[in-house]
Formats: sequence, structure tokens, C-alpha cells
Amino acid sequence: MGAFIYGVALQCRMDMRSKSLLLTCYIVPLIFFLLTGGIFTAVMPEMRGTLIQSIVVMGVSMGALIGVPPSLSEIYGGGITKVYRANGVPLYTGVLTMAISAFVHLVLMCVIIILLAPVAFGAERPENPAEFMAALGVYIAVSLGIGCVLGLAVGNQSKQTMVAQIVFLPSIMLTGIMFPSELLPDFLQAVGELLPARWGYRLMLEGGLVLENLWYPLVVLLTSVLTCSILLKKPNMKL
Amino acid sequence: MSWAIEVIGLQKSYRNHTVLKNIEFRVEKGEIFALLGVNGAGKTTALECIEGVRRYDAGSVRVYGRMGIQFQTSTLPAYIRPMEAVKLFAKWNGVKPDVGMLSSLGFNEFGKKQYEQLSTGQKRRLHLALAFVGDPDIIFLDEPTAGIDVEGRLALHSNIRELKRAGKTAILASHDMAEIEALCDRVAILSGGRIVFCGTVAELTRAVGRKYRVHVETDVGVWEVETENITDALLKMLGEVRQKNLEILDIKVDRGTLEQHFVEMVRRDM
Repeated sequence: MGAFIYGVALQCRMDMRSKSLLLTCYIVPLIFFLLTGGIFTAVMPEMRGTLIQSIVVMGVSMGALIGVPPSLSEIYGGGITKVYRANGVPLYTGVLTMAISAFVHLVLMCVIIILLAPVAFGAERPENPAEFMAALGVYIAVSLGIGCVLGLAVGNQSKQTMVAQIVFLPSIMLTGIMFPSELLPDFLQAVGELLPARWGYRLMLEGGLVLENLWYPLVVLLTSVLTCSILLKKPNMKL
Repeated sequence: MSWAIEVIGLQKSYRNHTVLKNIEFRVEKGEIFALLGVNGAGKTTALECIEGVRRYDAGSVRVYGRMGIQFQTSTLPAYIRPMEAVKLFAKWNGVKPDVGMLSSLGFNEFGKKQYEQLSTGQKRRLHLALAFVGDPDIIFLDEPTAGIDVEGRLALHSNIRELKRAGKTAILASHDMAEIEALCDRVAILSGGRIVFCGTVAELTRAVGRKYRVHVETDVGVWEVETENITDALLKMLGEVRQKNLEILDIKVDRGTLEQHFVEMVRRDM
């Protein structure tokens, strides 16, 4: 257990040294927050009520879907499985430590947004912070689950970027975080319903943490965990 | 005989390509043993099967003792620092890092740099340190000095000899014949997925039936003879030198290099 905790702490430190993770987990989401926060609240003042939820969904999606997969495939593609086997360490250790570390960084990024948004743009704070943080935790876990599947399933980094964008862009455009999804055609609304970002956004709205909004993210999370465990048993992982 | 490693009937195929064909050898406790072979001969696969990091199709591998494995470079995250990697490996193995060992491998010089900033030699030394972390009885070294400058190579050779003095067993795969000749007690030659020779360098010399080259330099010129019996050849040459009243300036006996024997053995197997 001591080794695992040290591994997670070490991964957090290494992530802070990684420019790409710093960029996708902190710098880009925060720049996006500063730009869109100003524009949205000026154009649509009623967005102050959901600004935090919108920016948080976008930031978490970016960090988990675009930031995590390359780091994960870099580790597993570099032959870390041999090191794990030789030292009696379970193969899932790399995924788990990276996911926990990314979880911590994404929570920190979200806390910065939650603290700054009311001051900078007059955004409304969540009425029930504990409920909001629980919903946020669920959405971060689901997004990281998908990011881990991408990192393990797609070894090539350019393909990874392409696949990540296929999930990320609709998550921003079709899920109601930028503009009401009712404005979209029915077909695109249906596509939006399939994306965890839509459900994560609903979960974080006031009174949104209910089973009706929770079942789909949990199914996606469970599927991701199962897929990761299958991917870790692939011949090139098993050797 | 007290064995550290026993490999019996080891077989491994990748799809339709058989890499290891029923290989067998034993490594004695406390010896430095080398696996030699041309590229693609199956050295790394054999080593990884013995280490337990690669599955094999048939045969058995027994390793009597705690293993330490020196991996090739690029198996560690780019942003990890050598000291952090050593601490992590030590925690995995439930031990404390040996500061003296780290210092002898030059950690004072590069221990706080990030992995991606290390030179090839420093990465090799870090990987060697990681192999030593759990105080293993048997150390596996895959191309331990590839890409390292002369100074670093000598330092690593010294570390490997230190292992032998401490009673540890080492098994290494290398292309560097001079290194193997200088360090190893016995060698096994892998060719086409089979062990075509296993024994000492002297036994290899005898096995390839190579003649010795006796070289006598006198004040009137150089005289070279190829022979299977050094004593007879030398006595005959010295007799003639005495008869002609020549002055001897130098005498050399060339028993051939491991490289020459290796090439001969692999050529025979083809």
C-alpha cells in the first residue's frame, strides 16, 4: 500500500512537470474559462446560472480525453509492463496511478474555476457545494474512464488525437454546455444524449444528483473499467 | 553442483516463427554467464522468458534466488528523476535504497535530473541501479554497456565484477565480444533459436578446433607459425633461433578472440 501511495504522489509530481498535461488540464481550460466566461455572460446574462457547470464540463473533458491518453500510451508503449511483472506489481497500477493523479489535477482546476467565476463574471455558486463536488467527482471519473480506454486501445498518438477529438468536440457542441441543446436538430440532440458530458452537465445542475441522471454515467464508467481490464490482457500487454 | 538458473527444453514461437527451439542450459551460482548471438538469434526473448516477463510455449525455467533485471532504456516515464525511480522500486521490493551503491553508479552527478535529460550512459547506470535495488541474488543484464563511452563502460565493468566478488550470479546478453571475454566465466551461443555451444571461452577455442598463432620477432625479421600445439611449435622455433644465433625481440601467442570463435561457430551452424 505504501508503494502504491508513493506511486500516486510521484505521478502527481511528474504530471506537474509534464507540459502537455499542464496545458490540457490547466492552461487551456483556464484560458477558455477566461475568454468564454466574459463573452457568454455579456451576450447571455442568464448563463451566469450555469457558467461554472459549462466550463467545468469542458475543462474536465479536455483534460481527460485529450491530456490523459498520450501519457498513458507513452507509459504502456515504453515497456512498463515488463518492469511491473519483474517487480510483482499488477499491470493495472500504471492506469490507476495516472487516473488518480489526473483526478486530483482536474479537481484542482475545477476548484480554481469555482472560486474565480463568481468574482470574475458574477457566476452563481452551486447552492449545495457537497452535492456539486460529488457530481463533479462522478463526471471526472467517467471522463477519465473513457480517456484510459483511449490511451490503452489506440497506441498511435496521432490516431489518438483524432479519436479523442471525435468524442471531445461533440461533447462541447452537442450537450447543451455552450448553448441550449433544444436549438439543435433532433438527430444531433440524440447524439448529444449518448455523450457523458450531457449527463455530467445535468448531474452538476442544482438538484441534478439523482438516480435518473446517475445511471448512464455509472454504466459508462463500469464499461470503461471492464474495457481497460480487457485491454490490459491483450497479447502485447500479457507478453 | 549448485545452480542459480536451469533452463530445460525452452520453446517460444511468435505466430509461425519459432524463436527458441528447445534450448537448455544451466547457470552456476556465483558465475557470470553470457548469452551470445547475432541479431534476431533469440537472446532477448530467452532472457525475458527466464526473467518471467515473457510467456513461453514449452519447457521449464527454474530460477533459484531473487532476481534483479536491468531493462533497456525507454521503460521509464520521461519526467521521473533517478532518485524517485530508485525509491519507487525500493518500495515495490520492500527494501531501502543502498546509498553506497547509488553513489558508486554516479547518482551524485545525475540523481536529480529528469529521465529524459539523462545521457545514454546515465540511463544505463540508472537501469543497473534499479536492477540492484532489491539486493538480488541473480542479475539479468541486457546489452549493459551499449551506447556508453569508454569511461562509463569501465565503471560498469567494475560494478559487474563487484557483483561476482559479492557472490552474486549474473546473466548477460551482449554483442560486445571483448566485454564478454573480459567479464564472463561461461558463454552460450544462440544461433537460429538453438544453443550451438555452451562452455568457457577455452572450451569454445577447442570446439572450433582453431589453431594458435605463434609469433616470434627476431633481429632479422618476424616469424609466424600456426599450430595446434604451442609447446612443440615454440621449441622448434627457438631451436632454429639458437642454431642461426639470432636475437629474440618479442614472442606472442595468439589464441584467437572470442569474436573469431563465435563467427566460426555460427558459420558452422548455418
